[in-house]
Amino acid sequence: MRLSRDGVAGLILFGISLALLADTFNLPRMPLVPVGPGFYPRIVLVFMAVTSVILVAQDFLKVRAAAPSALAAPGPRRRYDLVAAIFAVVAVYILLLPYLGFRISTALFVGAMQWAIERPRTSRQWAALAAVAIGTVVVSYLVFETYLLVLLPRGSLTGW
Amino acid sequence: MYELLGQGILTVLQLKYLVPLFLGTLAGVVGGALPGVTITMTIIVILPFTFGLDPLQGLSAMTGVYVGGSAGGLITACLIGIPGTPSAIATTFDGFPMARKGEPGRAVWLGVWASFLGGLLGGAFLILTTGPLAAIALEFGPWEYFSLFVLAMAMVAGLAEASFVKGLIATAIGLLITVIGSDPITSVPRFAFGSAFLNDGFPFLPVLIGIFAFAQIMTDLEKLGHPKPEGTMEGAKSLSVSHLKVIGEILGRPFLLLWSTFVGIVIGVLPAIGGSAANMLAYDQAKKFSRRPEKFGTGIPEGIIASESSNNANVGGSLVTIMAFGIPGDAVTAVMLGAMTIHGIQSGPLFVVQHAGLAYGIYAAYILAHPLMVMIIGVGALFILKITSVRLAVLAPIVLVLCVIGAYALNNTMQAVYVLLLFGVVGYALVKTGFPLAPLILGLILGDQIEINLIRSIMTDDNPWLFITRPISGGLLLCALISVVLAVWQHVRHQKRMAAEADTDF
Amino acid sequence: MRRILAAVLAAGLIAGMTTSMTAPAQAQYPDRPIKMVVPWPAGGDTDNIFRPFAVELQKAIGQPVVVANVGGASGTVGEREAKNAPADGYTLFAGHDYMHLVFYAGMTDISYKDFEPICLISATPSVLTASPKTPWTDWKGLLEDAKKRPGQITVGATLGSTSHIFPALIEKAAGIKFKFVSYEGLATRMNAILGGHIDLTDSNLTQKGKVDAGLLKFIAIASEKRNSEMPTVPTLKELGLDIVFQVVRGIMVPKGAPAPVKAKLNDACGKAANQPSFAEAMKLQGTTVAYLDAARYAKFLDKMDADSKVVMTDLGLIKK
Repeated sequence: MRLSRDGVAGLILFGISLALLADTFNLPRMPLVPVGPGFYPRIVLVFMAVTSVILVAQDFLKVRAAAPSALAAPGPRRRYDLVAAIFAVVAVYILLLPYLGFRISTALFVGAMQWAIERPRTSRQWAALAAVAIGTVVVSYLVFETYLLVLLPRGSLTGW
Repeated sequence: MYELLGQGILTVLQLKYLVPLFLGTLAGVVGGALPGVTITMTIIVILPFTFGLDPLQGLSAMTGVYVGGSAGGLITACLIGIPGTPSAIATTFDGFPMARKGEPGRAVWLGVWASFLGGLLGGAFLILTTGPLAAIALEFGPWEYFSLFVLAMAMVAGLAEASFVKGLIATAIGLLITVIGSDPITSVPRFAFGSAFLNDGFPFLPVLIGIFAFAQIMTDLEKLGHPKPEGTMEGAKSLSVSHLKVIGEILGRPFLLLWSTFVGIVIGVLPAIGGSAANMLAYDQAKKFSRRPEKFGTGIPEGIIASESSNNANVGGSLVTIMAFGIPGDAVTAVMLGAMTIHGIQSGPLFVVQHAGLAYGIYAAYILAHPLMVMIIGVGALFILKITSVRLAVLAPIVLVLCVIGAYALNNTMQAVYVLLLFGVVGYALVKTGFPLAPLILGLILGDQIEINLIRSIMTDDNPWLFITRPISGGLLLCALISVVLAVWQHVRHQKRMAAEADTDF
Repeated sequence: MRRILAAVLAAGLIAGMTTSMTAPAQAQYPDRPIKMVVPWPAGGDTDNIFRPFAVELQKAIGQPVVVANVGGASGTVGEREAKNAPADGYTLFAGHDYMHLVFYAGMTDISYKDFEPICLISATPSVLTASPKTPWTDWKGLLEDAKKRPGQITVGATLGSTSHIFPALIEKAAGIKFKFVSYEGLATRMNAILGGHIDLTDSNLTQKGKVDAGLLKFIAIASEKRNSEMPTVPTLKELGLDIVFQVVRGIMVPKGAPAPVKAKLNDACGKAANQPSFAEAMKLQGTTVAYLDAARYAKFLDKMDADSKVVMTDLGLIKK
């Protein structure tokens, strides 16, 4: 027996709902409210558990019916390496934001992300990359902090 | 009322409001035209700018985005055959063939004027019905709200393309996200496991921004370097056309225009269905009622008129729902509602009465956005077509920076930014495993309200039968049941002849 | 000679440069925008009071004062945010009495002692308000009905906060029993009470317009004397209930802020709170300006905290 993507997802969600369902019974109750804070989550979790079981069952029946050979015809290659790299770049950006402050980290981020998506080769392309990075920071800082008074994160290390 | 509307229009005509409205409409048209940038995405990008504006300025800009976005999709739909937003999918069916037959101007302008007329008819509906509907909404107690939300979720899960079960699970995930953190009644931490991060819960705007922005950008990045679809209309140098003739063509089909507008409005009023369903349904209806259905898809005006008038009328309908009930009809209005809350405006049955200036200002902005939209497309359609070639390497980081600013500025905490990233990953994973996002977003938007209204009704009266015996509540639950049965029936029928479905839709 | 002159010049230059570099860090508070954390969502009464105040404070202190609404979990999220901010005077905390209540209700570990008071700015008397769909027109009718139907009359309230404590005090003083239903925030309570989904709630004079239009009924006001805006509404004291209940709001900073910064803020706060335009803005919020400087505000907070503890104990809501 082999489960496809759907079946695995269903099993994972089923597991999560059972684990959380168990946790709802540990929640304290408040005297003022006739039902405790676990009441509504239990409804949601039971609903989720039931639907995940149906998903797994559907998948199981489908796998048995169809020949297990053909995964969908492979289209052009998808760049999952790039997706992972971009997620990593965004994560680093967000982690550095409170330390370096908005202006420095954003310039680095916009530069890094352009570099990750499209390597600059000529010095002109490098200049364009830097211009976009610095331009984004200058424009967004001026518009938000100076003009619209929307405060942006300040770096605890740089004070900037 | 007309006096108030007149005042509203005079207010919005001031530069202070006209400029944000114009910029919003422009952003909407461009965002709508860019394939891969949806209206939701555009409004997310606009959101942080509205924090620093006064409420009417911010809402004018957002209304502009909504109106402009619903029309902007037609530019790319007609000229390159790619819908700029999901709400212009049906426009490609006839718009692109017509443009290829050498009438790009006629195709675009049929779309523009149909959007204009459909939008204004939707506006008339918005202005005339919001008040009476708000009066009805005031009679809604916690039971009715609860049942209304259940109905909304049942309908949206049923619309999920691939699988009804997956639609339901996506709804459940959305609801579950709102459960994490302090419970809304007594602030008991739930599923926090001692972590302060989880204890603060996941406010819906950062979650929504994260899910949409990352799911979109990452799926675009995956396909980087793939060849562009063939058959683009590079030749279109001029879109000039006799406007009188085009408008005549539309008004010569009054039934088509009115019916498509009606479909758009109804879809708009129903929570959480949105423009992507409206244009397909209107197109389908137009084909059914037509005397020459076999001509649909070959480049006839009816197809363009049906699609474009319905998707703009849909905007008017959606605005009714947030203004009268305080319930967002889709992700776009959810962001608008979020922006209102940030400015301290509680939407709901009392909104139009208590904030008459603002409410009529929004009506006025909605109406004025239409001529602006016509002007922007008229002047800039070909130029906008050029913008669609902006490299992803430049667009993606800028959009993400704006998302980060938006999330941060909501509460001025980094917490929201971490939530943004976390749900960026979650959203992408869900798209990759084939879960529809629309039901999830709805669950997310309504989750807290469902729980609060459920608990409120229990606290008010411990008789659970009231959900069924109160007539409005019972009727809504019955509708929910019918829509579930219909959805199951349709999927069973559908599955027999359905091959593997294509890509995800936002 | 020339060499000496050059040395003196150079020394002077260096000294000048260093002072010009270090000076702003010391004396020039504030040299950038100040953030005011309001721990409730925008548009609530707290927000409506602090926003006009921020405008006045900005004029008095010479730098933008930006309101940051950090709402959630009965105000405890914003409280934590403000407490964890650097104590440099660039983060202010805009609080009210709920701090004491949520602390004793066990919802948070943060107490008013984690902050240093700057000034008290306003007081808003509570008004017991009834739905138009209720049969009674005055306190007497309500009291009789409540005695006949104990635990049946519904009251909308933010549980554990001031809108809960105020009706609870009435319950206790009059020897009656209400049924509490959770409606967080005044705006949601107004929707519910106009639709008749709850019978009673705590509101304030901002709702005067609806009373004049016959959409709501004011039963009694919890101030010492009748209010000149609504002279027909009796005080609870007149009705024989010894309850004076008002929600007071003030500005604090995280503990450990430098003394010159506090002095500067205290000054600016006093100027801002006593502007006639601020009093005008407060009138719209059914609120009076009640200014206390840092020293008196500190004493007031101590008393408030002790009182809150007694109230919460009496009502059986205490966890700490």
